Amino acid sequence: MPNLWQKLTQHDGNGWWNLPHGPSNEPNPPHEGPVGGPWLANLWRVATYGGVSHAGPGFYWFVGFILAVITLLEVWLFTVESLGIWFIPILLILSLGKFVGVMAYFMHLRFDHLLYTYFFASAMIVGVLIFTIILFLSEYANQPVLF
Amino acid sequence: MTQAATTGYQDPIENTSTGLSSRKLMMWAFLASDVMFFGTFIATYLVYRGKSLVGPYPSEILDIPVTSVSTFVLLMSSLAMVLALHYLKNGEKNKATLWILAVVVLGTVFMGFQVVEFRLFAQEGLTPRTNLFGTTFFILTGIHGAHVTIGVIWMAFLAYGSHKGTLRSDNSMDLEIAGLYWHFVDIVWIVIFTVIYLISAADGPPPGAETILH
Repeated sequence: MPNLWQKLTQHDGNGWWNLPHGPSNEPNPPHEGPVGGPWLANLWRVATYGGVSHAGPGFYWFVGFILAVITLLEVWLFTVESLGIWFIPILLILSLGKFVGVMAYFMHLRFDHLLYTYFFASAMIVGVLIFTIILFLSEYANQPVLF
Repeated sequence: MTQAATTGYQDPIENTSTGLSSRKLMMWAFLASDVMFFGTFIATYLVYRGKSLVGPYPSEILDIPVTSVSTFVLLMSSLAMVLALHYLKNGEKNKATLWILAVVVLGTVFMGFQVVEFRLFAQEGLTPRTNLFGTTFFILTGIHGAHVTIGVIWMAFLAYGSHKGTLRSDNSMDLEIAGLYWHFVDIVWIVIFTVIYLISAADGPPPGAETILH
């Protein structure tokens, strides 16, 4: 039984999730984002190449710019009256975009070990579940207003 | 194979079962618990949204342009944080210190906005005891403000450490962990700004509120 457990959970004496050390773990790759070289290709590579590298200042400035633009867009949408029922869904999607942007690039989840992502995502799922349950219960329990 | 692998971005080699930094994992565990913490307060706000029977109501008191500026300030503090970490890891001490100080300044400015906002609300008659909106609003934004305050104090210590040379590229994990906390505070505000300020800003009295009162 211990043998089976070891086979299931370990690899060469380490946890199976423990990736071997390789060139992908080296810091400061040459491609650093939108400044210099074929910037669009570099930008795309940095943004999508998870778990193997990290970005440089140019890329972070770019992400910061995008987040600022999304915030401006949100505030502008606030003044648009013709959105109707689409107002809340659009704002939630934009907010989710900013949330993911900060998590993925500023918090380095895109460049970090997947275990951190799994860890946080699990809590997010539980959190959203609690959130949804509270909203459903309050909707159907019809609680009286306290004051 | 006894050497644990480094993974991701300049994590120091640690002999842990996962090969990952236990301190960093602990911070992620804390943030995971904080998600549920803030989740319950946001859910509570939404449960009581639009159920206040007396004013001031969100439509009468929330100032979106001012809060947009403070949101932008906090967002830029996150950018400063990630730049500080980058320069610290690269061994560029002065730039790292400068950007950590920028985080402190931007965080303090954000706190200033919140203090001014709270004072204005109090002058307009909205306190945590006024109505359900006041209670849920002040608890949620107040707890977030407390998180920001702790973050600012933490960053001030790290800025001093970076200036003195005790915070270096070889122990940059200290800043990385503080950075995770700071970015988390930022993403919580992203949600608060959307849910409380933008979505709820048009909320007035609930139907029949006047009838119930009189």
